[in-house]
Amino acid sequence: MILMQTKALFIDAYRELNAKKLFWISIVLSALLVVLFASIGYDEDGVSFLWMNVSFLPFRPSIVSREFFYLEILFSGIGIRFWLTWVITILALVSTAGVIPDLIASGTIETTLSKPISRTRLFLTKYCTGLMFVALQVGAFSIGSFLAIGIRGGVWEPNLFLAIPIVLALFSFLFSVSATIGMITRAAMPALLITCLLWAVIFLMNIADASLLMFKVNSEILVEQREARIVEITENTTRLIRSERNREEPGSGDGYEPSMEEIETRNQFLPQIVEGLEDDREDLRQLTFWHNLIFTVKTVLPKTVETKDLLSKHLVDPSLYPERERNQVEEPEDPNTFVIDQAETEKRMQEEMRGRSLLWVLGTSFLFEGVLVLFCLWRFNRRDF
Amino acid sequence: MEAVIDVQGVEKMYRRRVHALRGVDLRVGSGEIFGLLGPNGAGKSTLVKVLLTVIRATKCQGTLLGSKVGDKSVLSQVGYLPEHHNFPKYLTSRQLLRHFGAMSGVQRAQRNRKADELLEVVGMKEWANAKLGSYSKGMRQRVGLAQALMNDPKLVILDEPTDGVDPIGRKDIREVLIRLKDEGRTVFLNSHLLSELEMVCDRVAIMVHGLVRQQGTIEELTDGQSGFAVRAMEPISEEVRNTVVARMGGVESVHTNDPNELVFATSDADVAQPVIDALRANGVIIRQFGFRRPSLEELFVKAVQEHPDGARPGAQRKGARS
Repeated sequence: MILMQTKALFIDAYRELNAKKLFWISIVLSALLVVLFASIGYDEDGVSFLWMNVSFLPFRPSIVSREFFYLEILFSGIGIRFWLTWVITILALVSTAGVIPDLIASGTIETTLSKPISRTRLFLTKYCTGLMFVALQVGAFSIGSFLAIGIRGGVWEPNLFLAIPIVLALFSFLFSVSATIGMITRAAMPALLITCLLWAVIFLMNIADASLLMFKVNSEILVEQREARIVEITENTTRLIRSERNREEPGSGDGYEPSMEEIETRNQFLPQIVEGLEDDREDLRQLTFWHNLIFTVKTVLPKTVETKDLLSKHLVDPSLYPERERNQVEEPEDPNTFVIDQAETEKRMQEEMRGRSLLWVLGTSFLFEGVLVLFCLWRFNRRDF
Repeated sequence: MEAVIDVQGVEKMYRRRVHALRGVDLRVGSGEIFGLLGPNGAGKSTLVKVLLTVIRATKCQGTLLGSKVGDKSVLSQVGYLPEHHNFPKYLTSRQLLRHFGAMSGVQRAQRNRKADELLEVVGMKEWANAKLGSYSKGMRQRVGLAQALMNDPKLVILDEPTDGVDPIGRKDIREVLIRLKDEGRTVFLNSHLLSELEMVCDRVAIMVHGLVRQQGTIEELTDGQSGFAVRAMEPISEEVRNTVVARMGGVESVHTNDPNELVFATSDADVAQPVIDALRANGVIIRQFGFRRPSLEELFVKAVQEHPDGARPGAQRKGARS
């Protein structure tokens, strides 16, 4: 009977989707995007669209590999990051905001609860049917893209289907919020609005995280540069003092360790650099504190961006990423002036971002979802209708 | 008679303030049509929802089809039509019936056959493939009734089944109910339409403010309240009433709200003859004379009016008189 009831609830959910224009509009738009992928060629001359060469686009196989172009730029970049995780997710949230309010609506719930199905199983099954919109969309889009990219670009990458669980997981984090608000308010509109609000908060937290991380990494580099400069000046000045002492009295400079005051009197820049180092260390402490704070807040929230980025992590070999040329940083004349290579900053940021474990990205996000689902179950089981 | 519903002391308190059920004792026998009456807010729907696990009782002892109330598995043998149902408008009636059949655990082949069969029974076969969104209220009610019968239930609970249904539809529904009874099923009806209930119910219970005030067959409930009634052209004065009652010695008069009427609790026409003589002797012109049994509506109104807050709609708040 369990299987029969589960099947009945899924068929009912499909019929509900089928009756919604938004679902079919999304499918048609996804199909158009797949057709667009199939229209884009990539060869020695660069990018072509149908029979037209669009060589003004800055992509060449010598810079960007075929796999990277199709998988990372087209599928992951446009298909997943833009289309599925923004447009389709918003459409899905609109379409599914009513799933839980409709389930518990007066006139509906009485009939359903009068059937031999436990409230827990009923809620969990309905919750899963709420994910069907995105599952069907991302499933159809992935199959279409796999074929389009394979036939047109010659890149047959089965890892592309990782998009299905990844996008589904991302949507489920947001849907858990929608379901919870729907369970509390019994209305679709507050569920949609509060979910979008939380999504916006997560978006802002990600911007804050990235910005603070960039400032923090810059500050780290600056502190490292200052420390290195101090060591360099100290060593050079020590050598100079020793050679002067040896000139005055041979052998007296060997093994001589000048005091810091003596070194500072000999190098006018050193006191400024040391003073600057203290300021930079204080800045770094402040930035680390704020970044850790944002990171902690992010830990308890669903990680939408990081989840989305998991696809790129598993879809494209890191060796295929185009090398970013390092800037030639000219040594400034003023020893108290420091120049930060942005390529180095980006590299360190990437390392830190990519270093965030799967457990942190998915584990804590699923924990967030789990807590909300448990709350919904508790409320659904206790509630009178 | 084997009890299909047998509950004692059912209580439901909402938010520790509103006492919707205050110790309901109810027994419904197998194979009967049982009617539950009561004013708005009496707790009829709450009681039904408690039986169907839609609402959790604060206190409840008893059984439903032999299983403890709250046991979900027994619901596969129960059919239910809620009062203000709101079935999905994107489904056709055939799809709806098949869906709820599956939810009740009816096998595929059986539910496909049963859905068509029931649509014919409720007169909706021609509309089987039309979406519910295009139905009138009466049509939705017919489909709702069919939905409640998808699992061949031993017990059918119908909350206001004739709500929004035209007279022909009501007659059809009554026929379905009688057919269910003939098939040996138990039908539990919640309704405001007392005349409808009177036509089909074997037994009734009257609920007022969360308590069952009366329960039994209509004959049992009207026992002592039926008798020979004399109706005059004009109101009968108190003096004449007292004179007539005194002459009847031993036969009790039945209380009636009609000032033109005088009722004596006897089924013997001979005993009632002196009343006519006494009234005529006092100059009262008689318009009608005959045996009279109170209608269900009168019983209902009486039961409600006997309760201090009977006429006031809504559930009893804690601390209010009982």
